[in-house]
Amino acid sequence: MKRRDFAIGAPFVIAAATLGSGSVLAQPKVIRMVESGGKSGESIEVAYIKPFTAKTGVRVSREAPNPLGKLRAMVGSGNVSAALFELGSPSLAQAKALGLLDKLDWAAIDPLPIFPEARDDYGMGFQYFSTVMAWRADAKAPATWADFFDVDRFPGKRALPDYPHYLLQFALIGDGVSADKVFPLDVDRAFRKLETVKKSVSVWWKAGTQPPQLLKDNEVRYAISWSTRIVDEPTLRFTYDQGMYDISWLTVPKGVEPAEKALAMKLLHEVTVPENQVRATEIIKLSGNSVDLERLVGAEKFATFPTATKNKASQFRQDAEWWRINGEAVNKRWETFKLAL
Amino acid sequence: MTAHADTLAQTRQFAGGRRNIAGPSADTLRVWPLLILLIALFDLPLLFTLGLSLYGKNGFTLAHYAELLNTPAYLGVMASTLRVSLIATLVNALVGYPLAYWITGLDPRRRGIALACVLLPFWVSILVRTYAWIVVLGNGGLVNRLLQWGGVVDEPISFLYSEVGVTIGMTNVLLPFLVLPLYATMMRIDGRLTQAASSLGASSWTVFWRVFFPLTVPTLAASSLLVFMLSLGFYVTPAILGGGKVAMAGNLLDSLINQIPRWEMAAALAAVLLVITLAIYFAYARLGRWSRA
Repeated sequence: MKRRDFAIGAPFVIAAATLGSGSVLAQPKVIRMVESGGKSGESIEVAYIKPFTAKTGVRVSREAPNPLGKLRAMVGSGNVSAALFELGSPSLAQAKALGLLDKLDWAAIDPLPIFPEARDDYGMGFQYFSTVMAWRADAKAPATWADFFDVDRFPGKRALPDYPHYLLQFALIGDGVSADKVFPLDVDRAFRKLETVKKSVSVWWKAGTQPPQLLKDNEVRYAISWSTRIVDEPTLRFTYDQGMYDISWLTVPKGVEPAEKALAMKLLHEVTVPENQVRATEIIKLSGNSVDLERLVGAEKFATFPTATKNKASQFRQDAEWWRINGEAVNKRWETFKLAL
Repeated sequence: MTAHADTLAQTRQFAGGRRNIAGPSADTLRVWPLLILLIALFDLPLLFTLGLSLYGKNGFTLAHYAELLNTPAYLGVMASTLRVSLIATLVNALVGYPLAYWITGLDPRRRGIALACVLLPFWVSILVRTYAWIVVLGNGGLVNRLLQWGGVVDEPISFLYSEVGVTIGMTNVLLPFLVLPLYATMMRIDGRLTQAASSLGASSWTVFWRVFFPLTVPTLAASSLLVFMLSLGFYVTPAILGGGKVAMAGNLLDSLINQIPRWEMAAALAAVLLVITLAIYFAYARLGRWSRA
């Protein structure tokens, strides 16, 4: 996918622009959306696209995956074929800085009540996910990150993310920094903490499917994982305490046709409807942005979701803006650290 | 005897085929559609990528290359990429050569089965193959359970999540690229050459090393080079079987393109990788000319 986008790039700018201009007057029958795929994509289809198509008669074709490089190539080529593009919060910050996005028309979206942090000039936070500590049911249960990073009192191999964005915070909290003061990150201190545990790390994972599998196979006893991958595993445990919640965003690529953008705003309205979000929760254990979701689903059933009142209060939020500014420098440190493993 | 007749027939067939290819051909036009496709979809974007690393907002610049040379982490990743690729290539050659030799000696029916086994990986997605190794070699995998059941070891051996795991995975994926050309070459070797050597009193050891092996060296070198160049770009296998501990350029490029995003830096790294590959290729071509001279 990535390679192909890269390859198509510039040579077809002219051809694509000519083809694109033909569709200005016609009312689109279908709009395209780039999203992260899998169960998440399925939940978008059932919960939001279905009611949207029922009301407008316009179909939505989905395409995955959604790396930032794809958005950049699309906007750079001038052939903006997707009306909506899903981005993680660090990617949203990057895309804003690179000028790859159109402002949302919040008046046209006319959203139902949503969490304030899900509302951005350039994106709608539509999905809350959490990074948490997880362990095998037969391992000694850690209560804090200090426990998790203490390989003497909590022996056993670890699986940690191969993404500093989802790791350094926890190392700092494990070293005694309080969760509400963790940003701006003390990078030196975080790497010092990681040095103390690196011998016990058997896998630095890239894919979210890895930590639950590694735990189940007894390849590791403790892992940092996305909460949604652990919730339904009977032999695994996790806690939202000191976890980090983050938001996935729906954005509009710069240069999209106005008619398509107008339709995208209508689709975004559906994304704020709590009844639609309930349908999404039936497919994937991630929360939507509605403040009414907990009441609709029922507190007991919602207890395993990232935005349950109790869970949201015990977590801290990812700081995408800090990463936008410091990401590259940290990544060089990260590569250096990993070369010495 | 039949196998030998086959070999002879194929040798002749091949010799005839080569004459046709080498001869002047009137229909070079037929090459153009593919050539245009390659230029438009591969070579031009490659040039644009190079341009990205050299031209910024303020015109021509070598700043990205300077930064690359001044960042020990990036140089380290390049060195690690070369080392892992070299190891994978050597292991491939050590495993692949005897395998190809063994297949050559089989009767036609068994040969077909053996070749199908070598080709099988081509028909399975690289991701599936990579995860299959976890099932086979993991702590709770087939091999470790057998070893523990047989009382060979008490604790599971960790094959995976290290350079060993990456080498096993890469060898599995790349083996056909080495075995198939070698097999074709070995089948083509005129059986009368080895017969002549034997009849002059050479031991089978001498026949192999002084007659058979030298005839396969050009193919061995060419296919090893191919394997090496493919290794340089590996991404999925090291990421999963290396447990994130085996640094490869592909993974670094992914973060530079999709996360950070510094396309200029990614382009500079890619250009350096390309230059290294081309240098190796030209060195090989040179070597080939000398050995023929």
